[in-house]
Amino acid sequence: MEVLSVKNLCKTYPAFQLKNVTFSMEEGSIMGFIGRNGAGKSTTLKSILNLVHPDSGEVSLFEKNFMQNEAYIKQNIGVVLGGIDFYPKKKVRVITDVTRRFYNTWDESKYQHYCRLFEIDQEKRVDQLSSGMKVKYMIALALSHEAKLLILDEPTSGLDPVSRDDLTELFKKIVESGERSILFSTHITSDLEKCASHITFIKEGEIQQSGTLQQFRDAYSYLRQPGGELTLEDIIVSVERRAYDDEAII
Amino acid sequence: MMTKLLYKQIRLVSHPMTFVFTIFGVMLLIPNYPYTVSFFYVMLGLFFTFLNMREQKDIYYSALLPIRKRDTVKASCLFVVLIELLSVVIAVPFTIISPRMNPFGGNQVGVDANMTLLGFALLLYALFNIIFLPAFYQSAYKVGMAFLKAVIPVSLLMIAMEVSVHIPVLSWLDGYDTVRQLPVLIAGMVVYLGGTLLSFRLAAARYEKVDL
Repeated sequence: MEVLSVKNLCKTYPAFQLKNVTFSMEEGSIMGFIGRNGAGKSTTLKSILNLVHPDSGEVSLFEKNFMQNEAYIKQNIGVVLGGIDFYPKKKVRVITDVTRRFYNTWDESKYQHYCRLFEIDQEKRVDQLSSGMKVKYMIALALSHEAKLLILDEPTSGLDPVSRDDLTELFKKIVESGERSILFSTHITSDLEKCASHITFIKEGEIQQSGTLQQFRDAYSYLRQPGGELTLEDIIVSVERRAYDDEAII
Repeated sequence: MMTKLLYKQIRLVSHPMTFVFTIFGVMLLIPNYPYTVSFFYVMLGLFFTFLNMREQKDIYYSALLPIRKRDTVKASCLFVVLIELLSVVIAVPFTIISPRMNPFGGNQVGVDANMTLLGFALLLYALFNIIFLPAFYQSAYKVGMAFLKAVIPVSLLMIAMEVSVHIPVLSWLDGYDTVRQLPVLIAGMVVYLGGTLLSFRLAAARYEKVDL
């Protein structure tokens, strides 16, 4: 089943434009959404969630139109937009107590299980959680209401290498059963090499490539140096590199 | 759904001072005072909650919940109605006690603590809601400007109300003539209901267009 389908998404800002963003995701996949800072990753994710109003285009999740099924779709997804920076002075327990009421499929025993697994202290305030812990807390919330698709905006940014590795391992476990899928944006390409099955690459508001990790490598195989391995980072840097001319610094 | 939304507002969003100001109906016991001011504090209390909502980034939290974007606005409106009606209900016993405690027999400054005052309170709230809520949800972050836009006309209306009882032809608004003043209260209820519903619709429509 197609868990996510984005067709011809356009959004014009005074200084930036999303141009005909089109890609789709299959159930059970981990899709890495890559691009440099300002390429349009967050705007695309926000447009998918109706937080930003696209000028045109269509978004479907679980083969249902988002605008017509907003509440249903949101019941079945978990979203983490750049960690959590809301309610920093509230206790984890209080935020959970409010959040769980909104989900028909909330499973308290699962929540307790994930809190133990991730070592989340219910009595801590949000601002006492580390960056990695905040992401894990949001994932615990998502898994406790049986989210079928996790949409994560830069979940690994700002984390230390060990925490990032921990998260990428967790992502692989989450999709293992084939029922759940993850879409996550990042600019840290090494995380994708560890766990992503699919890649969507956005540059200046336009999708450059979307497909499996292998298809992505093949598409840019012309960049390979003789005898060298081609990493995702090599690809992105080669495609995005900008040269400064002699008059750049005055 | 409405209870969940309201629970969220009370548990996460509300500022403690918002609740403290709802009991400012106790100011009706001051012998001579412009009593409509006691309801102004309630609006100030609501301002604190909206300020808190912005600072705590509630908009981002709410956007992730399995609710429609307009339900976020509904949650705020429900909370506003809860606070405003609570303040009016709390003021009721003080309107009964106030004339008995007043050494002059009535308020020398403006309108007495009577049924007219309760009607006036609802009219003030209606005016506040219809300006403040749509103005706030136009940007979802300019709380101060929305409050300023609302309190200027609200203050003018308050002055007009306090002055009105000194005009001989409107003197029936003052004193304790339940039969003649009951229509003012009913009119307040009707305008409050209609105005608040309209303010929700306007605010929700504006918020739909906001890019977060």
